[in-house]
Amino acid sequence: MTFRSTLAALALAAGFAAPALALDAGTYKVGFVTDNTGPLAFAGTSFTRGAELAAEQISGGGYMAVGAKIELVQKEGAGDAARSIQSYNQLIADRNVIATACCILSPIAGAIKPIALNNKVPLVIYGATAPGLPSLPFVYSVTGLPGPAEVAMSKHIAEVAKPKTVAYFVLSDNEAFQGRFKASQAAMEAAGAKTLGVVSVLSADTDFTAAATQAIALKPDLMMVYTTQSPAAGIIAAVRARGWAGLMSANDAISPLAVFKKIGPPLAGVPFPVNFSADASETPKAKGFIEAYTAKFGAAPDLYSAQGYTAIWLIAQGLKSLPGKPSREALATALNKITELEHDVYGGLPMTNGQAGTRYTLFLNWTPDGKIAAWKP
Amino acid sequence: MDLFLAQLLNGCALGALYGLFGIGFGLVFATMGILNAAQGAYASWAAIIAMYAIELAGLPFPLAALAGIAAGGAVAVLVDQLGFEPLRRFGPGNHQAAMLGALITSIAFWIMLDSAAGLMTGQQSLAFPPGSYPATVFQIGPLLLPAMQAVSLLALAVVGGGMHWLNTRTRFGAAMRAVGWDPVAAALGGVNSRVIVVATAGLAGGISGLAGILAGISTANISAGLGQGLMLKGFAAVVVGGYDDIRGTAIAGLLLGVLEVFCAQYLSSSWRDAFAYALLLGFLMLRPRGLFGGGGFTRA
Amino acid sequence: MSDLLEDLWAAYASTLGFAMVNAFFALATYATLSAGILSFAAVTYGAAGGFLGAQLLLNTTLPLPLIFLASALAGLVMAMIVAALFLRLESHWMALSSLALVLITRVVVLNTPGLTGGVNGLSLPAPLSMIWLVALLALAVFGFWLLDRSWYGIAAKSVREDPSVAACLGIDPRRIQLIAMAVSGLAGGLGGVLMAMMLQFVSPDTFFIHVAFTMIAGVVLGGSHHWFGPVLGAAVFTALPTVMQAVVPDLQDIANGAALLLIMIFLPRGLLDPRAIRLRRAAK
Repeated sequence: MTFRSTLAALALAAGFAAPALALDAGTYKVGFVTDNTGPLAFAGTSFTRGAELAAEQISGGGYMAVGAKIELVQKEGAGDAARSIQSYNQLIADRNVIATACCILSPIAGAIKPIALNNKVPLVIYGATAPGLPSLPFVYSVTGLPGPAEVAMSKHIAEVAKPKTVAYFVLSDNEAFQGRFKASQAAMEAAGAKTLGVVSVLSADTDFTAAATQAIALKPDLMMVYTTQSPAAGIIAAVRARGWAGLMSANDAISPLAVFKKIGPPLAGVPFPVNFSADASETPKAKGFIEAYTAKFGAAPDLYSAQGYTAIWLIAQGLKSLPGKPSREALATALNKITELEHDVYGGLPMTNGQAGTRYTLFLNWTPDGKIAAWKP
Repeated sequence: MDLFLAQLLNGCALGALYGLFGIGFGLVFATMGILNAAQGAYASWAAIIAMYAIELAGLPFPLAALAGIAAGGAVAVLVDQLGFEPLRRFGPGNHQAAMLGALITSIAFWIMLDSAAGLMTGQQSLAFPPGSYPATVFQIGPLLLPAMQAVSLLALAVVGGGMHWLNTRTRFGAAMRAVGWDPVAAALGGVNSRVIVVATAGLAGGISGLAGILAGISTANISAGLGQGLMLKGFAAVVVGGYDDIRGTAIAGLLLGVLEVFCAQYLSSSWRDAFAYALLLGFLMLRPRGLFGGGGFTRA
Repeated sequence: MSDLLEDLWAAYASTLGFAMVNAFFALATYATLSAGILSFAAVTYGAAGGFLGAQLLLNTTLPLPLIFLASALAGLVMAMIVAALFLRLESHWMALSSLALVLITRVVVLNTPGLTGGVNGLSLPAPLSMIWLVALLALAVFGFWLLDRSWYGIAAKSVREDPSVAACLGIDPRRIQLIAMAVSGLAGGLGGVLMAMMLQFVSPDTFFIHVAFTMIAGVVLGGSHHWFGPVLGAAVFTALPTVMQAVVPDLQDIANGAALLLIMIFLPRGLLDPRAIRLRRAAK
C-alpha cells in the first residue's frame, strides 16, 4: 500500500466515521459584476449594496453551515458590454469563485450567458429581464418577468377607476417595456377602455414637454407610463407641469425614493405595481432586511437592493444543500433543485425553470409628503 | 392648430438649448480647432453646482445660475490650461498633431469630469428643488408658455446676439478670430494670445454651462449624463449651422428642436432621430459649410 | 505554476482579445490619418462588416475566412460611399461629418431590425478563437508595414505634411486619400466582424461614439506616425481600465483619465515616435 492510497483510505474511513452532510467551513467566493458607474449607476449601486448585505448576513449568521462564509468579489462592468465581459472573465478565472451574479441590461446578460455556459459556472442574473435568459442548470434570473404585475394593476385600475379612454407613454427602443405596455393595453381593452393613442419616447430622451403636450391633447381619462425611471419621472413631471390633473399610472421604476426626492408632490397619487417596497413590505424577513440595510447604508433599500440581496441568498441556499466542498457543477445542480426561495423579502418567491416568478404584487403610490402607501383612487 | 402652435413653441424651446450648447461647442472648435469631447461635462458641472448652490448655500435662483455658469467657465479654463495649453507648444507648424493631442486630452477630461460628476450626484438623477426656480406658466391665448421655456428662448437670443456682436463688431472678436486663424501672426500683430485663449475657453464653458442649467430645469434631470444628451444634438446644430457661424448654429438648433418635436407628433418617434440626422446629412452634402457658409478656398 | 499561468490567461485573454480587435479600428483610423484625414468613419465601416458578418454567421455555413473577407469588403464598399460623399470636404468639415456619420449609423441600425436585429441586436453563438485573431492582426500589421515602405507610403506622408507641395511633386492627393479610405474600410470592416464575434453579440450600441474615441485614442497614444503605433496604443487604452481597477478600484475612471492625460502631455507624439527613434539613433 503506497502512502497516497493509505491517505485515501484514511480519508474514506474518516468520511464514513463522520458523514459529510454539512457544507465545509471556509470562504466561498461569489463573483459579482457591478454597475456602480456609467449610465445605470443609479440602480447599480443599490444592487451592489443589497448583495453586500446578503453576503454579510449569510456569513455572520452561519446560514449555510458553521464557519461557512460568502465573500463577494466585485468587478466593475460600467454598463458596458466589453468591460462587463472582461470583468466577468477575470472573476471566473479565479477557481475559488464558485458562482457569479451580473447584469442589469439584457443584451449584456445575453453576452455573459454563453461565457457562463462554456465555463460551467452558475450565474444568477439580478437585473435584466428578457424571456429565455435562464438556461438550466447554470443560468438563473431572480427578477420577475414583466407582464403579470402590469396586467394585475391594469385590471385593478379598470375596476376601481373605470376609465373609458387611455393614452400610453411607451419606451419604443426597449423590448421589456414594449412587452409590459402590450400586456397592459390588452387588459385595459378587454375591460372596455379604448386606446386613444400611444406616445413613443426613446431611452435617451430627456425633454418630455412635447410628449406631454401630445398626450394631453388626446384628452384621455387615464395615462399609463411604461418607461424606465428617468423618462417616467420626466413624463409625470411634464404632464403635471402643464396643468393636467387626471389619473396617471406608472410602473415599479418610480418606486425608489430618489424619484420622489427629484420630482416631489407631482408624483403623488400615481399608482405603480411593485413586489418590494421599504415602506409597504411587511413580512418579517422583509422588515429584517429593511432594518439591517438602513443601519448599514443610512438609507432605505429600494427594489433594486432587494434584487441584489435575493441573488446572493439564492446562491447561499444552493450551497447550503451541498455536503463537503462542492464544485461549480454540483452547485449548479443544487440550484436547479430549488423551487422556492427560503430567505426572500417578497412574501414568497417561486423559481420555475430558473426564472423567479411573482406571487404578490402591491399597488402603491407616493403620498404628497414622500411616503409610499397603498393606492386608493 | 392649437396643438401645432403649442408643439412649435415646445420645439423652439428645446431647440434653444441645442443652439445654446452648440454656440459654446462651436466657439472652441472655430477659434482653437479643438474637437472638445469634454464640453458636455461643463454643462453637467454647471447644473450640478447651480443646484447645490440652491440646496446647500440657499442662494436665490439668479445667483445660483450665475454660480453655475461661473463654474462651467472655470472648469473650461482649467481643462484648457491643463489639457490643451501644454500641447500648444507644438507651434503652428504642427497643427494636426496639436489638434489630435487635444482631442485625446479632452477625452481624458471627459472621463474624469463625468466620473467626478457621478460622485457628486451619488450616481442619481437629481433636480432643482421645486419652487426654487420660476415655474409660472403664462397663458397666451390658447397657448401655455412655462417661464423656463421663455427663459431658454431669451437666453438663446441674448447669447446668440451678444456673441455675434462680439465676434463681428469688437476688437476682442477680431482678436479671437486672429488667434484661431494663426496664433503666431496674431501675436506679431500685438494680440496676447494666451489671454484671448483663456477668455474664449471661459466664455465657451459659461455658455455650455448655461445650456446645462436650463436643460437641467426644463427636463427635471441633473446627472452626470446631462451633458452628453446636449452634446449630441448641440454638435448636430454646429454642423448644420456652420461651426464658425453663431447665427447659423442658433437657427440650426431651433430647427433641430422643432423638427424633433414635429416628427414625434406627426410622424413616428422611432424615426425621429433619423429625420434629424438625415437633415444633418443633407446639409453636409448640399451646404457643406453650413447654413450661411460661403465658398471654400485652399492655399497653394 | 502552469495552473497560475492558465488562470492568468483565463482572466486576461478577453482583455487581450479586445485590445487586438480595437487595434483593427485604430489601424483603420491610422490609415486615413496617415494621408492627412481625421475621420471617425471607421465606426461605420465596422458596423457594415459587423452586421453583415453576423448575418452570414447566423444564416449561412460559409467558412470563416470567407466571412472575414466578406466583412472586410462590406467595410470597403461603405468606405467608397463615404469617400464619394465626404472626400471633397476640407479637413475640419471632414472630421465633423464623419463624427455625424457615427450618430447616423446608430439610428439606421436601430431602424432596420430586419438586417440588424434593431434594439435587441443579434446574438452570435460563435466564439472567436485567439489563433484567428492573432493571425489576422499579424496579416493586417504586415500589410501596413508593406504599405509604409511602398511608393504609396511615401506619397501619403507628403500628402499628410502638405497636400499642396505633394500636388506640385506630381502626387494626386485625392488619389492617395482614396486609397487610404479603401485601406481604412477593409481594416474597419474586418474589425467590425471580429468585435461582433468577440462580444458574441452586436447591437446598435456596439458601434457608437465610444468606439470612435477608443480608436482615435489608440492611434494618438500609440503614435500616429508609425504603423505599429495604433496596435500599441489600442492595447494601452484597452488595458488601462483593467489595470486601474486592480490598482485603485474606487477611483478607477478618474485614474484612467489622469493616466491618459499624463501620457499625452509628456509624450505628445505618442509612445512610438519615429522621429524620436531617428534622433536617438543619430545621437549614437
